[in-house]
Amino acid sequence: MSNRDTADGDADQNETAANSTPARLRDAVARATQLLRQHTDAGWSAIEDNILSQAMNAFRPSSPVRGRHSLGDFFLTSDIVVARLRHVIDDVPGAAAQRITCSTDTDDELDAVTIELIAAYGAPLVNLAARVHAVARDCLVDLLGVLAPTAEQIHTHVHIDDVSNDPRIVI
Amino acid sequence: MSPEVPGDPTLRGERRRAARGTSDLDGPSVVPDEVLARQAGLGDRKAFTQLVARHGPSLYRYTFRLLRHHADAEDCVQDVVLSAWQGLPDFRGDSSVRTWLFVLARHEAQKHLRRNRPFFPASGSRPVLDLDEVTQELRDLHTDTAVDAVEAALLTALDAVLLLLPERQRSVWILREFEGLSYAEIATVVGITPAAVQGLLHRARTAVATTMHEWR
Repeated sequence: MSNRDTADGDADQNETAANSTPARLRDAVARATQLLRQHTDAGWSAIEDNILSQAMNAFRPSSPVRGRHSLGDFFLTSDIVVARLRHVIDDVPGAAAQRITCSTDTDDELDAVTIELIAAYGAPLVNLAARVHAVARDCLVDLLGVLAPTAEQIHTHVHIDDVSNDPRIVI
Repeated sequence: MSPEVPGDPTLRGERRRAARGTSDLDGPSVVPDEVLARQAGLGDRKAFTQLVARHGPSLYRYTFRLLRHHADAEDCVQDVVLSAWQGLPDFRGDSSVRTWLFVLARHEAQKHLRRNRPFFPASGSRPVLDLDEVTQELRDLHTDTAVDAVEAALLTALDAVLLLLPERQRSVWILREFEGLSYAEIATVVGITPAAVQGLLHRARTAVATTMHEWR
């Protein structure tokens, strides 16, 4: 039970010490508790895949973003844009996307992207921000074609949210 | 910004790992909940799948013991997972991901109870149960588990005892004894103070011990 803090553990121990429950009964309850804790209900195993697919097919509030290629205009959801941006940003060494928001104008054209980052401890932050800005713009060009804002037109705000030295968080 | 910006020392080490829902025992390769939640919030389906695989069994165990019927528990967990998927983009990490999921689970379970069983007693009172029916259902529940007959009987007894507890006591007991949440986390899930959690837990433990004794 990794989440138990010391104070709670002490409270539990004090209660156990003061408890007048016979030892055999306490052991039986503890054994039953342990068995139930280790047991994965068959009901969960049966429904896991179905639950996941239904959830991920569900609508997530998202706005349309206009793109343009040689055959004409098309629309992506901002969800797709955010997911693609996260993917390329997380590939930048020393950076991980914490939050990405897109805003569009009245014609659904993307006019701003805000990227909040977690940076690896010791990473040169100015260079990191420039690198993230560059890969984000390349990604937008790839997604939206000629309607992708140029580096000058788009406001990519790189805000460092957190600094981490944990390789599981920022590689 | 200087490259030498230090991390917040108060967030380092054990406290930080605990805040992420992992511990040293989880090993260095386990991706923390908070990382999966961040990635899932930004549209990463694989991260969400991992998160659900990690916490789904606990959520199901909890909701089943609040609702008592598999079909209701399935519906409830379905709604929890859906709410989590839709809510993750706005998840700010004010609590741990695990605590947040249990908050969603309790909320959905109570909605199910209000909708499907409008005469179900409120949190402070005991549910009305047909003990023979419940015992048979619970025996059926544990016949397929990989335990011997004595242990199956023990599991049946404990499940039956839990069903006799008022909902808040049951929630507190399950969240503490099965899921290992801290008093503060349980307080967040149940919507009471940590001191009230301690009181409810004491009453629940006494009731479990007494009823198990009678059962034997």
